[in-house]
Amino acid sequence: MTTGRGPSSGDAASHSPYVVGAPALPLRVPLAPRAWLAWSLAAVTIALVTDNPVYRGLVALAALNVLLAWLPPRRRLRPLAVAVAFSAALAALINLLASHTGADVLIRLPDGLPLVGGPLTLESLAFGGALGLGLVAALLSVAPLSLVLEPHDVVDAMPASLERTGIAVATSLNLVSGFGRTFTEVRDAQRMRGWKAGGLRSWNEVLVPTLLTAIEDSVLLAEAMEARAFGAGRRTSYVASGFGRRETIVVAAALAAAVAFVGLRVAGAPMDWYPYPTLSLPPIQPLAVAGCLGLALPAFLPPAFTRIAPPGRPE
Amino acid sequence: MRRRAVLLSAVILATLAPLAPLAPVVPGCAAAGSAHAALVVEHGDGSVVTRCVAFNAGAISGEELLNESGVAWSSQTFGGFGGAVCALDGEPAHYVDCPGKDSYWAVFVARGGGPWQLASVGISTMTLNDGDAEGFRYVPDAGTPAAPVLPSGVCPTEATPTSRSVAAKTATARPIAGATPTLLATNPSAAATATGSPAASTPTATASAAADVVATATIALSPPPSAPNRTPSGGADPGLILAVGVGSGLAGLAILRLALARRPGP
Repeated sequence: MTTGRGPSSGDAASHSPYVVGAPALPLRVPLAPRAWLAWSLAAVTIALVTDNPVYRGLVALAALNVLLAWLPPRRRLRPLAVAVAFSAALAALINLLASHTGADVLIRLPDGLPLVGGPLTLESLAFGGALGLGLVAALLSVAPLSLVLEPHDVVDAMPASLERTGIAVATSLNLVSGFGRTFTEVRDAQRMRGWKAGGLRSWNEVLVPTLLTAIEDSVLLAEAMEARAFGAGRRTSYVASGFGRRETIVVAAALAAAVAFVGLRVAGAPMDWYPYPTLSLPPIQPLAVAGCLGLALPAFLPPAFTRIAPPGRPE
Repeated sequence: MRRRAVLLSAVILATLAPLAPLAPVVPGCAAAGSAHAALVVEHGDGSVVTRCVAFNAGAISGEELLNESGVAWSSQTFGGFGGAVCALDGEPAHYVDCPGKDSYWAVFVARGGGPWQLASVGISTMTLNDGDAEGFRYVPDAGTPAAPVLPSGVCPTEATPTSRSVAAKTATARPIAGATPTLLATNPSAAATATGSPAASTPTATASAAADVVATATIALSPPPSAPNRTPSGGADPGLILAVGVGSGLAGLAILRLALARRPGP
């Protein structure tokens, strides 16, 4: 039984089990952020260490299952799915149009067309599809870091030596969107005062106030962080994320899968696929397939639950 | 000043000395070893050149095997796609496009004495272990390429290298219909000439054969291999079956989870 801070009581089914003031409902205990980080690193390594579409497809399916099993109810997969599908389709299309190698010609575009002119082949379409599948696998592998974890969880998952750098990079990235918002506000304000976009010189009236506001925001942020003792020592947390047996199993399976892939490649096993000049089935190693199955392990973990202690009754 | 230059040269030589064994092997001079890999090159006119290359390492790449075999070849690199074999053993004699628009060199690999499989990777990535074979066939650019003749018999079944014999070269020519099998030549250079492949009969290759090679050069007038042996294996790959099973299971589970997530709650 643990008390602690966390999301509001209306968020009882979210990934965080620690809710002050919430009714004593059983809540699913999340995996430790470091376990997610190790899992993501292993999955991305596998997706990038081979260009075999079978392995990439299996990694993507394993990551999709893990995401569906651990996605908090308030998070949505649709934006990610759209981005992933668009990236994969674009990769396949570009390779189909730009690579004119291969034996099986689908259609032939006029040679006079720059870049895309010539035969469009089944082999180049298949290789583009394999490239797209690699993108899908890589994006789904890192998706839990943004969809399952909170930003502060990711920062906590970093090694102690990288913690301050991580916080600085995260806050800097937040300033990028802030800069965009400021630019829009200043531009709208100047328009209301009769400003119209003209040559380069006219943009001074928007860019200079935007830059000054961004600098002011940065100074304010730095002072706020210093007031919260940034850099004074290691970040503390009211609730320590435990690294238990479930985390150990997940990390061990993910690392074993990554080691199996790298080991097979180093040992000289055929891990890649080359469809030119004629399409052929990719070579498949049963050990590598078993490794991909190990990546899906978090999707099959039996859920662990905890009960929330009533408020005002510390343990 | 001069003394310092001499000292510097000595240091550089001492630093580079351990790297000497890593220098590239001159094509045609096969290294001694206990493992063997076969090379089969089938030309467009049906003539066949085979080589057996011995090596000591656990595996050898397809590119190294070609270099060690002494068969002349050239390639062109396509960036991240790796290299393509443009000309092999003098065919085509001249080329503009690589791979050629009408014909090209199809690459095959046979594992452990098994049937030919179309290579799924380029020769620089392909790895060959003891008993494997690398095959090339000059085929027209249409449809699935036919496999070259089987590599059986190119390399000794038992490793029997002598202190100097490091590679056994067998040159065979495509049989003449109805001819009686006859041993015509035991000289590697003569056999190489008989294949009609100029690159294989270069002075370098002949000298190498005379010095280091146990030659079993024959013109094999045996019947051509039967058609089923020339096609890639159609046997079910256990890895593929496992991958299809795992993939189907994961895909089905993902669909089930999505369907359950969309179902409105009670």
